[in-house]
Amino acid sequence: MTESQTPFDHRPDARLGAVLREALDAPRDRAAFVARVVAGAARTPAHPVEHLLARWAARGIAAAAAAAFIAGLVIGRARTPVEPSVSDDPGAMIADVQTEPNLLLVAATGR
Amino acid sequence: MGTEPQRPSGGARNPGDVGDAALVAQARGGDREAFGTLVDRYADQARRVARAVLQDPDDADDAAQDAFLAALVKLEQYDSARPFGPWLMRIVANAATDRRRRRKVRSAVSLDEGLVAGGARPDVLAEREVLLGRLRTALAELPERRRIAVVLFDVEGYSHAEIAQVLGIPEGTVRSEVFHARRKLRALLADWRDDG
Repeated sequence: MTESQTPFDHRPDARLGAVLREALDAPRDRAAFVARVVAGAARTPAHPVEHLLARWAARGIAAAAAAAFIAGLVIGRARTPVEPSVSDDPGAMIADVQTEPNLLLVAATGR
Repeated sequence: MGTEPQRPSGGARNPGDVGDAALVAQARGGDREAFGTLVDRYADQARRVARAVLQDPDDADDAAQDAFLAALVKLEQYDSARPFGPWLMRIVANAATDRRRRRKVRSAVSLDEGLVAGGARPDVLAEREVLLGRLRTALAELPERRRIAVVLFDVEGYSHAEIAQVLGIPEGTVRSEVFHARRKLRALLADWRDDG
């Protein structure tokens, strides 16, 4: 510990640091540790599957959306458009209209 | 004693050494040799930080190894405009903390047993080992964040701002943590000097 330093000092305490370093330095062989990590790294794929998937995810979603859109267009065009049937028969028009009073009656009576 | 903290990225390397950012770029491209150089450069630091959290040297080495391999997988996320050391130390601290949470807490007795193992030693060395053992015990009694802060500051030479980045806390809190840790550890050293 440097005598002139206080706990507030912004400079590293060389003496405390040296003793702590000695206390924390690993007793095991350093070279063996490095070799172990490097061997582990060799078994680790450079681009793990989840990273590749994440990278491809955005492209995949965009492609799927585009494919769905195109499929929708193709299917929509393949279908024969149904022309709205306009009846000239006044009786049929009246029959449609006649249902409305019944509906109003049901609504009014609550049944 | 009295040596200044040496930072792997602090310019203490040989002039011909490749910088961290260049090594990371090569490692990203699949160059395992470049990654091995980074491991060699930061091995001591990573093991010490892990041991500050875990105490047990074997656990600490396992955590440090996990951290290096996690860093390899996450290299794409590293911002090469920023220093590599704090980024890596954050991963190391997290790996050590995760391991500590998973494992059963071992007693301080086993730590001391490990220290005295190895047969008789000269008195001076034995006394030194006792001091180091007491220092480890005192360090272990500190809150984890405080432990990491004082080790990164006084041992590894990181700035308060960098430690704030490692721990994900405000810089002022780092200063406070370092202050409290030093107060306790310095008291231990002072007692030792008085006793000895």
